[in-house]
Amino acid sequence: MRNLINFLLKYISLIIFLILEGIAFYLLGTGNSYHNSRIIKGVRGLTTGIERKASTVKTYFILREINQTLASENIYLRNRIEQLEKKENQLFFYVSDSVNQQQYNYLSAEVIGNSVNRQKNYFTLSKGEKHGLMVDMAVTSGDAVAGVIVGCSENFSVAMSLLNLDFRLSARIKSNGYFGSLTWDGRDYNHAILSEIPQHIIINLGDTVETTGFSAIFPEGIMVGTISGFEKTGSDFYKITISLSTDFKKLHFVNVIGNLKKTEQLELVKQFQ
Amino acid sequence: MINNTLRFGLIFILLILFQVLLFNNIQFSGYVNPYVYIMFILLLPIELPAWLLLILSFITGLIIDFFSGSLGMHTASSVLAGFVRPYVLQILSPRDGYEPGSEPSIIIYGFRWFLIYTIIIVLIHHTALFFLEVFRFTEFFRTLLRVLLSSLFSVTFILFIDYFRKGR
Repeated sequence: MRNLINFLLKYISLIIFLILEGIAFYLLGTGNSYHNSRIIKGVRGLTTGIERKASTVKTYFILREINQTLASENIYLRNRIEQLEKKENQLFFYVSDSVNQQQYNYLSAEVIGNSVNRQKNYFTLSKGEKHGLMVDMAVTSGDAVAGVIVGCSENFSVAMSLLNLDFRLSARIKSNGYFGSLTWDGRDYNHAILSEIPQHIIINLGDTVETTGFSAIFPEGIMVGTISGFEKTGSDFYKITISLSTDFKKLHFVNVIGNLKKTEQLELVKQFQ
Repeated sequence: MINNTLRFGLIFILLILFQVLLFNNIQFSGYVNPYVYIMFILLLPIELPAWLLLILSFITGLIIDFFSGSLGMHTASSVLAGFVRPYVLQILSPRDGYEPGSEPSIIIYGFRWFLIYTIIIVLIHHTALFFLEVFRFTEFFRTLLRVLLSSLFSVTFILFIDYFRKGR
């Protein structure tokens, strides 16, 4: 018995080290792509308080830019209305069927916590379940892709940023319609990689890349970025570098997009798989 | 003793705030992410029992993890740093041993000693941290480059902060 106690005392620091590392790895393992939605629910309340304070201070410094973005978005929306009204006037009559026509609903939210310097970046939004946000809703900044919500608490949500090694997005080249898979390679917060585009296609620098809407998360035709470079890899596909439209360092006001018909779409697809 | 506890409590809070509000927002080119909170583990008294050092490292890492939303990563690497610290101190021990009741500091043990001490522990911590972050060995050299560059900046910032701490 005394030997055992002596043994324990001799190696006490090693034992504590192993126990603590065990806990850390347990947290790492259970959390990895999931921790932002689960643990944060409980603990984030505390830390978001501080982050929110810091965010209010930051807001003052970028008010001018926010105004500009809002103004340009207003112009864009006015133009949209103009176009749509014209179309509708050409009809003899029209039925306003808002229940069936609307597929997506839009909500605005403020980013109160953000990072661009990790390999797996997430950002926190100031709204949660109470305001109608749900997991798997799309997040856009202006009219460009920003991320996907992965966890909601009552008042806050956490979204996986496009700048995350786990982020996958179905995207296509607007000019020719070929689609591939968009990922981030962890290098530069301004650039992402579009892969799975076959090599027989002619690619022009500066071409627009947009979402496809296959995943039922992002609506079709949301801007991702422009092609800034491409190279042929050993396989039959291009590795295309995309210059992202969203400036993740300045991410502040975002739109959250929910797909009202998502369940319908996914259930139908499921029947054929 | 109580005085010491208070002092380290203050250092702890300041370093966490520094890390969360300032250094977590720093980025040059995706390769440099300085983590200066490790300085807390560096500065604790030399004679601190190993078990207490480990538990303090654990708490430090856990708090940083909560703020960064990266559960487990910082905890694991901080605990590792806390675990190797006594061994590093043993290796770097001056010819006539450490002064009783002292802390690792430039004034007592010299700039060269403190620099080597800091570099070793920061390198160990950053290596663990960055490899845990990507969690794969493909692109090994890119991650290694991130470790080296970030360590360089962390060490610089730590020495810088220490300079101001002493100037106070």
